[in-house]
Amino acid sequence: MRKLPELVAPAVLVLATALLGLVVSSALQTYFLDTLLKVAIVVALYVFIGNSGVLSFGHISFVALGVWTAGVLTVPESQRAAIMPGLAGFLSHATVGNVPSLLLAACVGLVFAFAVGLPLMRLSGLAAGIATFGVLEIVNNVLRYYDKIGPGLNAFSSVPETTGIWQATIGALICIGVAFSYQRSRFGRQLRAAREDPAAASAAGISIYRQRLLAFAVSGALAGLAGGLYVHMLPVEIDSLYLDLTFLTLAMLVVGGSGSLLGAVVGALAIGGLDSFLSAAENGVDLAGWHLDLPTGTAVLAVGALMALVLIVRPAGLSGGREFSLGWLKR
Amino acid sequence: MTLAVLNVTWQTLADALSLGGIYALMAVGIGLVFGVLRLVNFAYGQLVMAGAYAIAYASVWGWPSWAGILLCFGIVLALTALMDRIVFRPLRTHSPAVMLVATFAVAFLMQSIAVLAFGQLGTIASSMGPLNQPWDIGGVQIRKIAIVSIVVAAVCLALLQLLLRRTSVGLHMRAAAMDFRTARLLGVRANRVIGGAVLISGLLAAVSAVMLTARNPQVTPIFALDDTIVVLAGVVLGGLTRPVPATLGGFTIGFASGILGGALPTNQSQYLPTFLFAAVILVLLVRPNGLFARADGAAERL
Amino acid sequence: MTLVLDGLRVRYGAVEAVRGLSLEVERGEIVGLIGPNGAGKSSTLHAIMGAAPVAGGDVRLAGASLLGRSPEDVARAGVALVPEGRRILGELTVEENLRLGLAARRGRVNGSALDPAFELFPMLRDFRRRPAGAISGGQQQQLAIARAIVAEPDVLLLDEPSLGLAPRVVDTLFGTLAAIRDRGLAVLLVEQRAQRTVALADRSHVLANGELRLTLGPQDASDIDRLIAAYLA
Repeated sequence: MRKLPELVAPAVLVLATALLGLVVSSALQTYFLDTLLKVAIVVALYVFIGNSGVLSFGHISFVALGVWTAGVLTVPESQRAAIMPGLAGFLSHATVGNVPSLLLAACVGLVFAFAVGLPLMRLSGLAAGIATFGVLEIVNNVLRYYDKIGPGLNAFSSVPETTGIWQATIGALICIGVAFSYQRSRFGRQLRAAREDPAAASAAGISIYRQRLLAFAVSGALAGLAGGLYVHMLPVEIDSLYLDLTFLTLAMLVVGGSGSLLGAVVGALAIGGLDSFLSAAENGVDLAGWHLDLPTGTAVLAVGALMALVLIVRPAGLSGGREFSLGWLKR
Repeated sequence: MTLAVLNVTWQTLADALSLGGIYALMAVGIGLVFGVLRLVNFAYGQLVMAGAYAIAYASVWGWPSWAGILLCFGIVLALTALMDRIVFRPLRTHSPAVMLVATFAVAFLMQSIAVLAFGQLGTIASSMGPLNQPWDIGGVQIRKIAIVSIVVAAVCLALLQLLLRRTSVGLHMRAAAMDFRTARLLGVRANRVIGGAVLISGLLAAVSAVMLTARNPQVTPIFALDDTIVVLAGVVLGGLTRPVPATLGGFTIGFASGILGGALPTNQSQYLPTFLFAAVILVLLVRPNGLFARADGAAERL
Repeated sequence: MTLVLDGLRVRYGAVEAVRGLSLEVERGEIVGLIGPNGAGKSSTLHAIMGAAPVAGGDVRLAGASLLGRSPEDVARAGVALVPEGRRILGELTVEENLRLGLAARRGRVNGSALDPAFELFPMLRDFRRRPAGAISGGQQQQLAIARAIVAEPDVLLLDEPSLGLAPRVVDTLFGTLAAIRDRGLAVLLVEQRAQRTVALADRSHVLANGELRLTLGPQDASDIDRLIAAYLA
């Protein structure tokens, strides 16, 4: 129970963001929703990358699968032919409710991550990065052109927009809760031990492969869940589930600090806030009497520069890889 | 005239060969940097993009082609040197995975700068147009650029091999790549020599930019992004750790993409990336040193 | 070309590996540096090469300080190191490894630059095209020394060259070191094999815990165990 502040601090930050999101105008609310969603994705990333120390470029493919699962099954039947003309027979008629679609999205993420992880978790370092990048490419390629299972290049319009502030917040909190339980569990601790000192861990009987596979699968489930939340928020299309999102979420994790849950959440909120603000400014925004109209691309530029800077100057990120502890407050 | 199998025309064959040549050059550039720095430069494609923009703007301003090419080389080399100084050197001591992420960031950074500076619509590099005209060879039309790029690629690769194998600078480069500390203790200016290798990779990027703009004159911020990803796959397949297998990997992938892209109907060739990356994953699992590298090579490099 | 260490202190973080070591090596002599593991012998050599953090004192070659220079600059100033474990580049050929040694050479390099090395180690000539990783440990040691010699250094530093070698091979090796000394080089030899080193060197310093404890001459070689034990007890 000493470690409870580790869970409470990120959760409080998320709740604060949510409350703030409730009081702002509805135009700005979209940005808060988007940021809460990014928290979910980045926490999913953290569960694997942070605990194992292995890089994955492929997690957005799990998000994409979550989008597809929840999206295809909740578009009203009458609309399906319009946006998903090639859809396979049984998918044309299957429909589920909001929460089941989210659960299914998480399940698909879990199963797919497990299947992909079976061969891939033997790899580490650069090879793992390239292989997971390959997974991203493959999933992107297939979802883009195989219209029997989804809308292909079309956007997921007509999906019931059930992800408001509350659903997004609950989703983010679930991800944080699962991440916390995992890292406090025996499995999480074994994986972290293996990350610090692989030789000692093997000697102690820890199966690095199995622990990585478990973390990968759990993070796949969370990513799938995030995808489900995403598709219920706005019309998503495959292009926004590819390199740009991979880059953004990785940047959030790196800047916040990939070593801790707090880092993941802080990174997502900070960069999410920055990105949202700059994106809004790209469309023209009024701030305390000043009118700001930034050219397109400023947001990506700022995030990219920040990420490169952090990597060069303080690779452990803002949180330095440490969790929140009450000791911080006593200073 | 057609080659009956696979419905391949001579034009397609020449195109595939030229794409193979260009990809081989890019592969060497990427492989060279990996060899000396243990760094996969994700931002390599952006260097090519910058070079392409140089050529495009030179032609927009009415400069003669040779001036555009010079500008291209100048800009790419300057950016390469900058990248080396600001990104590669401080991160040299970190793991290859961190460096991959860092170059990933740099790639996006450069892309967004291009979007800011040039807009998303693209600029035409018309000065390279003449190279796109076909030659009539025995009744068959083959684009000039196809032949030129094959020749240029072959010459560049031969020169590079000569440099690495026959000169002391090349020897120093190889030594610095194999054992940085010992090379320094022997008097090799290891930092300088590695910087030299990085500049050579920049040179190759500039050459690739020239040839790619001749094939495809429309320059956008994502120019060569897809090509770079495919070349990266080819390099991993061929063997990331050595220049010759990396080159072969790049060439093979370019050639195969060219042939399959030209010969297959669209609804099948769409899934090319899937097969490509499935092959990459398989190679990483089974033969991490690549298909063309010797099986007894150092297995722990990746 | 005298190499002078003047109160050299080497510190890695909180650990002092060398505490105020002073010694001199002149042309045409071999000075031995012996002592148990962890005594600071390797750290001394690395400090001379500019590859270890110096916390105090000085290292001078012909009166000029070597401190603050990068390893490649120290090498080019005429100090050659034969590293512990040889550090041969196994994927390069024997000849390429030798040519690498030319990097530190002052003055012009001509076609016969490698000849002195082949004279001293005729075996290497037969193996010149072989990958250096394919020759035996003793031959690799010869290659490492030859590689240092082709740079025509004034000072030769050797870090435990006899490590892992059979006694007869060590005999040949030490004979070669004597020949190198006779050519006028200043040789600083770090070793764990106390007796042979003391017998070969003009004088040998015993290092323990980073400090100089005792200096011995060749005449002490036969009684060495007792002498050393007395000072290290």
